[in-house]
Amino acid sequence: MSVLNLKDITKKYGELAAVDGISLDMERGKVLSLLGPSGCGKTTTLRIIAGFTSPDTGTVEIAGKDVGHLRPYERNVGLLFQDYALFPHMTVAENVAYGMRHRGTPTSEITTRVLRMLSLVQLTGMEARRPHQLSGGQQQRVALARALAIDPQILLLDEPLSALDAKLRLELRLELKEILRSVGATTIVVTHDQEEALTLGDEVVVMNAGKIAQRGTPTQIYEAPADKFVAEFVGRSNWFHASKRSQSTDGLTSYVADDGLEIRTRASRPDSEGGVDLCVRPEDIELVDGTAPESAPSPEHNVLAGVVLDVAPLGADVHVVIELPGKSRLLAIRKNVGRGSEILPGQSVRALFSASDVLVFQR
Amino acid sequence: MRSKRNADVILAVSVTAIIAVTVVFLLFPVIVTAFMAFDAREFIGPFPPTDLSTQWFVKFWNSGYLWSGFKNSVQLAVAVTVVATAMGASAGLAISRMSPRWRDLTTTAFLSPLVLPGVIIGFALLMFLSVFNVLPVFPRLLCGHLIVTIPYTIRMTLVGLTGISATLVEAASSLGANERQAFFTITLPLAKNGIAAGAIFAFAFSMDDVTISLFLSDYDTYTFPVALVGLIRSHFELTIAAAAVALMGLTVVLLLALDRVLGLERVIGQGVYRT
Ligand SMILES: Nc1ncnc2c1ncn2[C@@H]1O[C@H](COP(=O)(O)OP(=O)(O)OP(=O)(O)O)[C@@H](O)[C@H]1O
Ligand SMILES: [Mg+2]
Repeated sequence: MSVLNLKDITKKYGELAAVDGISLDMERGKVLSLLGPSGCGKTTTLRIIAGFTSPDTGTVEIAGKDVGHLRPYERNVGLLFQDYALFPHMTVAENVAYGMRHRGTPTSEITTRVLRMLSLVQLTGMEARRPHQLSGGQQQRVALARALAIDPQILLLDEPLSALDAKLRLELRLELKEILRSVGATTIVVTHDQEEALTLGDEVVVMNAGKIAQRGTPTQIYEAPADKFVAEFVGRSNWFHASKRSQSTDGLTSYVADDGLEIRTRASRPDSEGGVDLCVRPEDIELVDGTAPESAPSPEHNVLAGVVLDVAPLGADVHVVIELPGKSRLLAIRKNVGRGSEILPGQSVRALFSASDVLVFQR
Repeated sequence: MRSKRNADVILAVSVTAIIAVTVVFLLFPVIVTAFMAFDAREFIGPFPPTDLSTQWFVKFWNSGYLWSGFKNSVQLAVAVTVVATAMGASAGLAISRMSPRWRDLTTTAFLSPLVLPGVIIGFALLMFLSVFNVLPVFPRLLCGHLIVTIPYTIRMTLVGLTGISATLVEAASSLGANERQAFFTITLPLAKNGIAAGAIFAFAFSMDDVTISLFLSDYDTYTFPVALVGLIRSHFELTIAAAAVALMGLTVVLLLALDRVLGLERVIGQGVYRT
């Protein structure tokens, strides 16, 4: 049975539909990432589930019951705010105990549970501190412990890591994932960081302008994006616009891009007025030395010759920007394998990518 | 480099000097008054008193005229503090929950008495109350002081509440606290310091005010400052200094009491909680 079921939720602020007909159901114990650009209605959706905002239309069901008429304190929804919203006049222990106090948990049980929660988020020994005596990461963990302490049916995390610096974000992201898995909390994580969404979520929901653009596993979202928006928003991508198709043979379709390049693809789409957009992920592109003799290319492969414009070694990866004959640019990401195989700016190279790695979207 | 550092040194020295001058300027009259109150001479002589005695305190103690004013003022100040704090805090908390547009309008309306000089408030109230002639003097004084102190207690409550993010109450609500519980466990404790600062101000204002009280007092019921003004007019002597020292003593005792209850450095210094 699904723990959460949203049916056709709409919320308008004036003319603007912050949430525009969202339906969503969630199974117990799953973690769902809600990913989307700023202003696409993520927070509004969470607030509707928590009961702070009432939707114009649609119903919210928690564990099979319509909770539309229930106030936030009558629902059993844990919420972690973007700014943590820790109570500054209470100690860490009092913060964590607050929810249980107001839900009638016996005092003896509260004490042991507070300690258990704090050890879960690795803050044992910090019970007596006030929020302002904690670092940002520690505050985040207290907020998480406080939200988990009431054993909510659904846990909502609104950009839980956005207030932290990059390094801490990475650490806490893994820790958060582990904690969520260990308590088995049914969770929605809102983020506009795609890496966060793909790491934390069993499933990812991509939102755009109040609507759900795609729902799927991280792999599906990345490898089979439903539309151009998702493909562009999740991961890096190279784009070619092609207005005409040249031919199709053996399940391969050739498009002639606007800058004259011919690109073959396995995916087939019916022709459309505005032409198609072709997308290649930079890590699917292989680079070979342009001066080496060209081996006979299989029809499966696209080969584009170009000149290296820029090389940026970013840790494990090297980002290489190539200028193609039509002045268009191509980003390729290759593993940083070390000496001997460096590619230098100005060098002529050939970019190889398989026809099955080319995604096609209709305009 | 050098000149930059010299500029720093000069700045630091001047800041210290300014602080020192300000402290002397503020405290010197107080120190003089305190010393003069213990002057053993029968007349007002040049500053350092030649001999010390408590004669002026005895005079103050025995002066029915001053003592009656003092008692009136304390009673009045306590009443003003209680009423102004209760009303101001309630109004401030209510205002803070309004939508931004109404919040600004209402705040302006509530703070408007502050732009009127006390003389005008006093005179207007005197006229108004004489026309209807219903209230005895004490409630009249109470009204006069409330008009000025309530805007301050509202203001201080609002100041105390800014910096408390609205999400705190929502967090409480999502954790299971209903509106009443969230108010008493989150909003009120956090607004406490602002409210306390307003209360201190209300008390101090009421103990201190002359302009409004002068219009509303009468021959039988008058406040301490009004009595002091009367005394200076009739015969200028050091009983007034003794009275001032007594007043200072009372203030210190009150502040210490408040410190026990709330933590003074928070009330006066920090004022607003930070997250
Ligand atoms: N109380 C409100 N009044 C008017 N408009 C609102 C209100 N709350 C949200 N909106 C609008 O609704 C839209 C969606 O807002 P929402 O906060 O849900 O976005 P979000 O996806 O959480 O964005 P972000 O990633 O920046 O937090 C925005 O355009 C916002 O301006
Ligand atoms: Mg948001």
